[in-house]
Amino acid sequence: MERSRDHDRIAAALAEARPAPRQAFVQELDQQAAGGFPRRSPVGSSPLAEFANWVRALSPQRLLVTGATAGLAVIAVTTVIVASNDSASERLALDSRPATENSHHVQPPASTSRATGAEATDIPSRPAGAGGYVGGLGANSKASSSTHGGSEVQSSPLIELPDRNASANLTPATTNLAPLSRRIHREIERSAEIGLLADPADLADDSAKVFAAVRDANGIVLHSSTSSGKNGGARFELLIPSVRLGDALAAFSSIDEVRSRHEATDDITKPTITTSEELQDTQARVDGLLAQLSGAEAESEREAIAAELHAERAHAARLRNQLSRLHQRTAYSRVLVRIQSGASTDSGGAWGVGDAFHDAGHILGIAAGVTLIGLAVITPLALLCLLAWLAQRLWLRSRRERALDA
Amino acid sequence: MSEAVVADIESSRQGELDFERLYRSSRDDVYAYAAGLLRDRTAAEDVTAAAFERAYRKRSRFDAERGSARAWLFGIARNAALDELRRRGRQAELSTDPADAAGLQNGDDQRSELRLLLDGALGMLEARERELIALKFFAGLSNAEIGRVIGTSASNAGTKLHRTMDKLREACDGAL
Repeated sequence: MERSRDHDRIAAALAEARPAPRQAFVQELDQQAAGGFPRRSPVGSSPLAEFANWVRALSPQRLLVTGATAGLAVIAVTTVIVASNDSASERLALDSRPATENSHHVQPPASTSRATGAEATDIPSRPAGAGGYVGGLGANSKASSSTHGGSEVQSSPLIELPDRNASANLTPATTNLAPLSRRIHREIERSAEIGLLADPADLADDSAKVFAAVRDANGIVLHSSTSSGKNGGARFELLIPSVRLGDALAAFSSIDEVRSRHEATDDITKPTITTSEELQDTQARVDGLLAQLSGAEAESEREAIAAELHAERAHAARLRNQLSRLHQRTAYSRVLVRIQSGASTDSGGAWGVGDAFHDAGHILGIAAGVTLIGLAVITPLALLCLLAWLAQRLWLRSRRERALDA
Repeated sequence: MSEAVVADIESSRQGELDFERLYRSSRDDVYAYAAGLLRDRTAAEDVTAAAFERAYRKRSRFDAERGSARAWLFGIARNAALDELRRRGRQAELSTDPADAAGLQNGDDQRSELRLLLDGALGMLEARERELIALKFFAGLSNAEIGRVIGTSASNAGTKLHRTMDKLREACDGAL
């Protein structure tokens, strides 16, 4: 009881001894309070310190909202930059191709390149004068464009590929390549595929324009098929002189709305050189066998040499044929033109709802990628910063508590 | 506890911090706490100004669900005071205010003797114990608020405070 009374007396004495601030200090502090407590320390004048103080002053909720907003802004800006670079790269890739119209939307199929290249090796080759169909395609054009009522007409004309060296108006494809390729005599096989969208009423006219473009390019129609009707279309498998491929693609692109376009190249320099060298070796062996044959005296020896000579000549003929096909593959480019009949995707014919969905998906994909990469970078950094912040807090608290024990 | 303090606590419990009211109701208490802990009126003024400046900057981070506004404010003031202690590396002696000295001479002899003894006893206390006294009797915090400020429970704060009072009682035994 007495202890409690003593405590009360001490408490009363302590209350009386309560330190009171000076009046001048109170007035000064009130002024600071009225002014929003302006900083007295010049340390906080640097922009970085100001930013740090501003962040510290934010409530956790506002800090979260501010961080999320800043993150979204960074993602949006990065997405725009990446998408712009992507578009620029696409345009650059198109511009680097032969001179054609690139103003249409391009959807390059993924697997057409190799298939076209492989098919090019199967081009039938016939002797000169055996019903060749190089250049003038007027008759074929008329035949294909005369289809009616949903019927389908197919034409597979016999063709003759001119000899590479004998053709006066054709230049090897290698002469149209880049200077570097020309210097090292690269043998490049080229192929292209173009998809057009045509109004059903324009399908016949568009087909005729395809034939006209092939004729102008001195090209070859390997195979063509045209079907009319609502879901009709046309398909043209063509051989175009590689030197005129760019002009031909430009002509095809101008026929109607381009829905897709794809071009590919295949370097066949190695097989060409290998075959050529093998042919030279074979020819040298033939010459050697002829010399042996002239010097042979025994009948059996002559028969053996003659048999070997026959085999070598047959082999040389096969190599010459193979080499000729390789040269033809570089001289001519295989082109596939497909015309799909149907209404244009929008009134303007250039960009529509489907394209909008495609572009939106593309942009969302980029945004997701940017977010993923950003998270991959930021997450460990944020964890490190969080750990550092926690460590600093613990260290500071520990030091403050130690100050009480000093 | 004054009506203003009670009103401040009520308003802080409602969520939004009325910093102006908190400042008006706590200004002298913060100073008294800092002066009691540091035993240096000049340093106490600096700590008080720094505490309110920090609290003003962080006012948006106040969360009423985590405690009263006064407990939050005195947490900030405590950090500022401990920073000052840490900076100085020593405890400054309390400078006797001329007004206090006059009061001691003009008052009741027994009470004056008790205050002198208390002043000496406070100087002999450890900083942690002196802090408890300052928070309780100079700042007027409840045991729960004291526990909140120093990072312990209300009952533990009360126990520590009681032990400190016993020390003071022993030191002032002759004047009681």
